Amino acid sequence: MTAAALPAPRQRGGALSGLSSFLHGRPGLLLALLLAPPLVWLGIIYLGSLFTLLAHSFFGLDEFSGVMVREVTLDTWKEFFGNASNGDVVLRSALMAAAVTAADALIAFPLAYFMVRFAGIRTRGLLYLAVMLPLWSSYLVRVYAWKLILAKEGIVSWFAQQLHLGWLLEAVLEIPVVGGPSLSTSYIGTFIVFSYIWLPFMILPIVAALERVPGSVIEASGDLGADAGQTFRKVILPLAFPGVVAGSIFTFSLTLGDYIIPSIIGKSTPFLGETVFRLQGTAGNIPMAAAFTVVPVVVMGVYLMVAKRLGAFDAL
Amino acid sequence: MSRLTVPSRLAARVLTVALATSLGAVFASAQAAPLQKVGKGEGRLDIVAWPGYIERGETDKAFDWVTDFEKKTGCKVNVKTAGTSDEMVALMNEGGFDLVTASGDASLRLIAGKKVQEINTKLVPSFSKVDARLQKAPWHFVDGKHYGTPYQWGYNVLAYNTTVFKEPPKSWKVVFEEATLPDGKSNKGRVQAFDGPIYIADAALYLKAAKPELGIKDPYQLNDAQYKAALELLRAQRKLVSRYWHDAMVQIDDFKNEGVVASSSWGFQVNLLKGENKPIGSVVPVEGATGWADTTMLHANAKNPNCAYMWMEHSLSDKLQGDLAAWFSSVPSVPSACKGNKLLGAEGCKTNGADEFDRIAFWKTPVAKCELHKDGCVPYYRWVSDYIAILGGR
Amino acid sequence: MTAAGVPAVAFEGVTRRFGDVLAVDDVSFSIADGEFFSMLGPSGSGKTTCLRLVAGFEQPGSGHIRIHGVNVEGVPPYRRDVNTVFQDYALFPHMTVGGNIEYGLMIRKVPAAERRRRAEEMLALVKLDGLYARKPGQLSGGQRQRVALARALINQPRVLLLDEPLGALDLKLREAMQAELKAIQRQVGITFVYVTHDQGEALSMSDRLAVFNRGRIEQIGSPAEVYDHPATPFVAGFVGQTNLLEGYLAQRLGGFPATYAVRPERIRIVAPDADVPSGFASIDGKVASVTYLGANSRVEVDADGGMLAVVEQNVDGGASVAGRVPGAVVRLVVDRRHIQAVSASR
Repeated sequence: MTAAALPAPRQRGGALSGLSSFLHGRPGLLLALLLAPPLVWLGIIYLGSLFTLLAHSFFGLDEFSGVMVREVTLDTWKEFFGNASNGDVVLRSALMAAAVTAADALIAFPLAYFMVRFAGIRTRGLLYLAVMLPLWSSYLVRVYAWKLILAKEGIVSWFAQQLHLGWLLEAVLEIPVVGGPSLSTSYIGTFIVFSYIWLPFMILPIVAALERVPGSVIEASGDLGADAGQTFRKVILPLAFPGVVAGSIFTFSLTLGDYIIPSIIGKSTPFLGETVFRLQGTAGNIPMAAAFTVVPVVVMGVYLMVAKRLGAFDAL
Repeated sequence: MSRLTVPSRLAARVLTVALATSLGAVFASAQAAPLQKVGKGEGRLDIVAWPGYIERGETDKAFDWVTDFEKKTGCKVNVKTAGTSDEMVALMNEGGFDLVTASGDASLRLIAGKKVQEINTKLVPSFSKVDARLQKAPWHFVDGKHYGTPYQWGYNVLAYNTTVFKEPPKSWKVVFEEATLPDGKSNKGRVQAFDGPIYIADAALYLKAAKPELGIKDPYQLNDAQYKAALELLRAQRKLVSRYWHDAMVQIDDFKNEGVVASSSWGFQVNLLKGENKPIGSVVPVEGATGWADTTMLHANAKNPNCAYMWMEHSLSDKLQGDLAAWFSSVPSVPSACKGNKLLGAEGCKTNGADEFDRIAFWKTPVAKCELHKDGCVPYYRWVSDYIAILGGR
Repeated sequence: MTAAGVPAVAFEGVTRRFGDVLAVDDVSFSIADGEFFSMLGPSGSGKTTCLRLVAGFEQPGSGHIRIHGVNVEGVPPYRRDVNTVFQDYALFPHMTVGGNIEYGLMIRKVPAAERRRRAEEMLALVKLDGLYARKPGQLSGGQRQRVALARALINQPRVLLLDEPLGALDLKLREAMQAELKAIQRQVGITFVYVTHDQGEALSMSDRLAVFNRGRIEQIGSPAEVYDHPATPFVAGFVGQTNLLEGYLAQRLGGFPATYAVRPERIRIVAPDADVPSGFASIDGKVASVTYLGANSRVEVDADGGMLAVVEQNVDGGASVAGRVPGAVVRLVVDRRHIQAVSASR
């Protein structure tokens, strides 16, 4: 039988199938077509706006009318560095972000370790659910709920009274700087709520990192003479560290930029996000807002560099 | 300034951030001569308004001042709500709207930016009914031209706990300076202040009476010395205040659960707390109070000017003004609206503070070039950064 | 080779359950010091569990395990004088080759210079000189395997446990490594306990081997013993190829109605009318199929009462010679000494 005797297979889809066979032989072109939209998004929308932002911080504000002047000037930056309260805002935000990150890492690691190494399938599923559950409800609802929990006449102080631990709560609130009239109007309260809100973002990457540590590697360490503590320090922790770093990038940057929690819980001292919001939204001082927005970008850049130096990305 | 409930506040913030980026790119447009005759309606009207300002009975059937207007004029009303003055300005800069209910800080910016046009008051017959004190108010009457029709006004009160204060406090002093309250305890940690730079005006208003030697005449026009004194007062106040409020619901909660006994506040919170039978009272102290007055303004490039003029006339009707005052706990700009309105009641205007007009320092954006001081006033953007510093403890 | 005295590893009635599964079922055996001992069996037969019991990763449910005479009940892995080469090598991905090899010494706080010197020695032993600073991720499978071996050997354990260490390597490399492992074992002179499912590997490397099936040991012996005298049908079938004779065939070739095993290479094909030498059993049949396998050929013969497989060396044409074609009538003869009676599996 010859091929010519057979009817030619019907071309389905015409142009579309033509395109598909055209692309089939040109994987590079196909890749380019597939990658173009996300690259355009990343390049223009994301990086573009970032550079626009940076550029805006080199514009000034007309003293007379309060309108932005589109002329390159260092005035904004001079004012930024000249005003000590700006440094306070940056330092306060960075310290809070660091404290929240440390606390979250300390809470998340044992939990993640338990989930991965010890919990049965059922317990593990329940724990996953427990970690994820808060993310399903509104962020605002949870923050307002915390306000009630931490209020002067709230749940925590009620429990403290019932347990005759009122003195302890008082003593904690007496601590200078971080204390205050009540938990909900102190740095302690802001810290607690930040730590709570961002905790899942620390747990999940650590769980993922720990899951990638093969059981045999841990056994190998024991086999080579390391006790549980040594195995944890020399093998598990270094291998899970990228997860901690990934989580800390979340918790650190989220804390650094958040402006809702400190506006609801705490002593109303301004944090970065709130300051940017006020300068931009209320005052129309876009150059200064831009200067402030550059700060977390720089802080995160430094943070990532330090993390890299510490070898956080070596095992990636 | 913003007057908002919780969820819309958040949305407004997000929107403001997003929109303001486009703000700078818009250029002023040419000024058109005011309309000379109201013609046939265009069938459509787009308004930027505060939430709750233009009701069509969707929240509560009794409060509807849109449906009748649409029937009568054939102008379909579309409302875009805005949560902050800045958002309003941004929306107007974007264009596509006919009217805006701008507060004193936004109105002057809109006029300066040539985003709104002069209106012909002859085409708004009810304009003559407007409170004489509002007809030529400086936040919409500029260089002998009218840039809108007054809508409603209100003010910030001193809210206090009636268990602690058997007598209403007479002065804002209870929130500005450390003092022993009638219950024998200090006010430290038990008072609040507004979490916004405009609160500097409240401090200035208090100093106007407390330290006459400073010579403060207008809390929105402060020279360097007066401004410094206000900041000094606020720095001392920082030690008394554990939390500054900006969110009405948070403040309500603080009055209930955080032991707050006195603070600047809005009628909104006071009414809600009263509704829950909490021991709360409000007063305008001897120094007076800061307040807001809103104006319906016409966009420079309004597409539907005829419908817009019809609405401005409608907005000054006794029915609408009375209903709105009852709904928003505000005061009508048309005094005749206070009589015979079922929703507002006989005492409604008085309850909402109609008699306090002369004691209210209405909201204006502080600008460098001001009438009172030759050397200039401290402009608003400095208020912002300085208030941030004060909250930060500097 | 096998020093008299205390065995390196001894199992005494050891049982280990995982839930309902009896992984190791009342196993007893001992491994002499310096022996290359293989545990051979299909997956799930309990051989790896036995290895893990020695390493200390598992604890016996009942019975005792002694390592050099010491009962290791409750002794954690890090206190046992044994080291393991894991199936997946289990190298620490965040450490260099050197770091991996020195790990055990570092834990024991050996000075850095000393560690380095010994690590270089080990690298030389496993022929990986110069790779000290590499990361495991930069190595080939065979190289990783050698690092795992070096990492275990540097601790000079008295017993080295190897869990299918060559399983992931390709055939050529595997054969080379088998020889090398055997050489290293001879060089270092320590006990190797080697788990594998590859009977060829077990036969070629071991001094003795244990055949595991369903949690029990079917047979222990030298490779020749196990191959030539399989104790059970399972061993006969698992270790090399075999003809299991039952029923009429058993009666005919073995003389009793029992179960016998005959290796295919032990059967000779002769002419249908050829004499049967004394001491030989014989049976007639027809050639069913012939498979050419290179060095030898496999001839399936349809004999009375069943099929018999015969493997013939292809010395002079092999399967091509007359008579080795399907349908040809042939006579099969086999030395009675190679007809091995096997008891049924326990």
